[in-house]
Amino acid sequence: MTTEQQAIEMEAITMATDIIVIGGGYSALYAASQISKNGYNVILARQADGQGNDQNDHFATLGIPTSELDKLTALENDVADNDKIEILPQSTLVDAAGIPGDFTVKFSSKGQLIEKKAGAIVAATDFTTTRLNQIYGLKRCSNVLSLSEFENLLTSDDQRKEIQNKNTTIAFLVGFAHEGNPLLMKRVLTSVSDIAEMDGCTAYVYVNDIKVADDGLERLYKQGRDKGAIYFKLSNSPIINQNNDDLTITYYDPVIRKDIELSPDIVVVEESLMANPDNFSLAEILKIDMDTAGFLQMENIHRLPVDTNREGIFVVGPSREILNLSRAWTDIDNMTLRVKQLIGDGNKTVAKNKAVVDREKCTICLTCYRCCPHGAIYWDDKAIISPVACQGCGICASECPMDAIQIGDFTDTQIGARIKETADAKTEDRPKIIAFCCQNSAFEAGQMAEAFNYDLPKGLQMIKVPCAGKVDINYVLNALVEGADGVLVMACHHGNCKSESGNTYAKWRVNDAYRMLEEVGIDKNRLEFATLASNMASDFARIVIDMEKRISQKES
Amino acid sequence: MEPKNVMVIGGGIAGMTAAWELAESNISVQLIEKSGFLGGHAIQYTCKATSECLNCGACAVEKMLKNVMGKDNIGIHLSSQIEKITQNGSYTATIKKSPVFIDDKKCTNCGICYEKLKDTGVIVRGHSKNNVPLYAICEEKLADHGDALKDVCPEGAISVSETASHTDLTADAVIVATGFEPFDPDIKATYGYSIHPNVISGLDLERIKRQNGSLIRPSDGKAPKKIAFIQCVGSRDERLGNLWCSQVCCPYALRTAESIKYKDPDLDITIFYMDIQNTGNTFPAFYESCKNNLRFIRSIPVDIFPAENGNLLLRLFDETDGTPKKESFDMVVLSIGIMPNPENRNLSTLLEISLDEDGFFKNLHELNQTSTLNNGVFIAGTAHGPKSISASIAHAGQAVSGVRKYLGGAI
Repeated sequence: MTTEQQAIEMEAITMATDIIVIGGGYSALYAASQISKNGYNVILARQADGQGNDQNDHFATLGIPTSELDKLTALENDVADNDKIEILPQSTLVDAAGIPGDFTVKFSSKGQLIEKKAGAIVAATDFTTTRLNQIYGLKRCSNVLSLSEFENLLTSDDQRKEIQNKNTTIAFLVGFAHEGNPLLMKRVLTSVSDIAEMDGCTAYVYVNDIKVADDGLERLYKQGRDKGAIYFKLSNSPIINQNNDDLTITYYDPVIRKDIELSPDIVVVEESLMANPDNFSLAEILKIDMDTAGFLQMENIHRLPVDTNREGIFVVGPSREILNLSRAWTDIDNMTLRVKQLIGDGNKTVAKNKAVVDREKCTICLTCYRCCPHGAIYWDDKAIISPVACQGCGICASECPMDAIQIGDFTDTQIGARIKETADAKTEDRPKIIAFCCQNSAFEAGQMAEAFNYDLPKGLQMIKVPCAGKVDINYVLNALVEGADGVLVMACHHGNCKSESGNTYAKWRVNDAYRMLEEVGIDKNRLEFATLASNMASDFARIVIDMEKRISQKES
Repeated sequence: MEPKNVMVIGGGIAGMTAAWELAESNISVQLIEKSGFLGGHAIQYTCKATSECLNCGACAVEKMLKNVMGKDNIGIHLSSQIEKITQNGSYTATIKKSPVFIDDKKCTNCGICYEKLKDTGVIVRGHSKNNVPLYAICEEKLADHGDALKDVCPEGAISVSETASHTDLTADAVIVATGFEPFDPDIKATYGYSIHPNVISGLDLERIKRQNGSLIRPSDGKAPKKIAFIQCVGSRDERLGNLWCSQVCCPYALRTAESIKYKDPDLDITIFYMDIQNTGNTFPAFYESCKNNLRFIRSIPVDIFPAENGNLLLRLFDETDGTPKKESFDMVVLSIGIMPNPENRNLSTLLEISLDEDGFFKNLHELNQTSTLNNGVFIAGTAHGPKSISASIAHAGQAVSGVRKYLGGAI
């Protein structure tokens, strides 16, 4: 490195130490309780009235031993009596502005507009359940029940007795209306096991894939079968006939080559566990990602599961995936750790140079605000970048039409100097190849290729960038002007960019550069965009070697 | 709060994550790893991306290894094992360091030892450039090739002494992150894993891809054209008493199959399975794409016979039409499951914590999956049961939060 490392100037900032938790189920209660135990005040914004768990469904606590159920009651009491937790009943999120450490959040609560300041925000919504009997062509009636209805029935001693006295035959339909998941399967397996244990009762399960990918489910599945439950594993739904109270289920068994018909007393139809419909507006207002299934946050390997694209906004438990309580608790413990790391005692020092706006140059066109994937940019009469929220990717710096933004150790001057330096390097008559490499992926892969003694082109030079989104089109053109025979822009795979869209911006810019090269008659083979992961040393080597070959062939 | 010190046993993804999260909380860490490298099983895994990232998590392991190597307050003990633990409010462990190791202070990663002794296998290279040192000694090969090690290193970094050294370390809390043992496919003898070169395990596939950049057949180095994946090898197996789903093999096989099919669209891939398990929220859409690219047969093959040119004949009973079938493939990948580490039993005695009926470490509370009978001891990762990379990372984070609560000052 020839660029001089400057002493980084730090600035002290104050972070608000109130934390907002949105949601009303056990996850939200546990999140509020844990955060408060770390000395922070919590504002718990819930849709319902009251203070206990919102979620009335019996299955929320399925499989939790009695001893632990007491803990949930204790949790409800703790939240109700905790003077560090303020509950906003009947509240809906209306607006959220600001940056980590200084969010201004508005709720409509009991018809009133309430404004709160907070250091961080936690989304802890629950999933919802939907009936699927229509997909099976079944009308709801006394002997066609949803899984929730059947579970509730099993909690009543009288109704249990009735089922048992009548030697009831119960058929379950699972996995034909949708893919399903282990949490749903656990509920089915638990009910099946329960029925199978009752003398005279029989459980038949018509099931597609048995989703046992969670702790203890395979054993639960076996327990049910050992007690006499019968499983028919089919790829397609059996034929179901409902004629008033008469139900028949028929399927063709390929092994014994005949139709198998059953007339159950009760049919229990699976449910679908869906993302909370509130997630949509939460995602929109909080400017965080939502996946195609409506859960908050898209999977991004570079982040902890509870982190979002925005620093200071966290998602836990069933707001981000269909998770049981134990796994939701795992999330919440992780989130609490992250809140503590971020907010601390409210006093924080941050690097001043993370992303610096030249207020002389800024024309407040808001390009930066629009392209920042981390919601780190706001403005007074000029753009301002929050040093806490900024992840230093540099997408804004390369998109800014006024070149008014400079990033930490990757300023235009520094990168320009690197380009000059690498273009001037002696390469023993081999083609000069300059590779702009994302530090999260390609740069690591390149270093690994060197460490593992891959036969890399002698004329290859890597320039590290914080994200491929920092690769300005000018860098690419400059590299060619300064004498590079080939230029590579190497980014993370689609969906793997730490800053969401840095790789997409890089690809667009390379495509723009192609058009320019074409206009001035420069061979397009001299420029390439590629995606890599940090552990792909051999792929890195292949890409750079291929480029050298192509250039050498053209020249000879 | 007084400066605290925590011992993390096991340097795989869970142990590394725990170490790093503790260090980030200004707690100093002693990280004990049995092998010569940090990273565990997961550092061997390859990227499964097609035109897009499939969220396998392999690159997260790479990143965590780099994080841990660059952190000041993590003491790393490679080739080291716990021999004894005494408890007296704190935990004092006697660590036995193997007499055979490469000194990280002297090693310059020049690779001379590896190049010179390549044929003997006595020097092994780490899977990541972030492994320091990049090389280690394979103890199984010592008896035959030990002498060759003596003068091979120009820096004198290779230590081959007779007696192991012992060190006592004291810690305020312990995190057990000893990981899993891959199922030994030879136990399913009818698959002929050790007999047919082109029957490989999922882990073998990862190693081949790492070494060659693409998949080749061990028998002739050629790219396979027709591959079978057999799921649930060792998992969900009543006869073996393995009553658990390993949770990672369906995602693994599907992502791997999609990724190699993307690179070679002519490849013919069949997945033999019992039940396909999900990969996450977006699984339905992903599975649809898989169904377009791969053939799925709900049946687990009974046995594998050798055929011409190193090909393999699978015998199975097709549940969809109820007929026995035979089909030839040129490579078979066994999706081997996650088994409890056989050393768990000894460690559970040393630490006075319990195992579950399957041999994994058992959590004390249902709602805290890292808690144990011993208040200052926490479990992280697959030592507790099958987990994906991201689930192991989350579990380790929870263990750290447990440690912080235990040490006082809330989290």
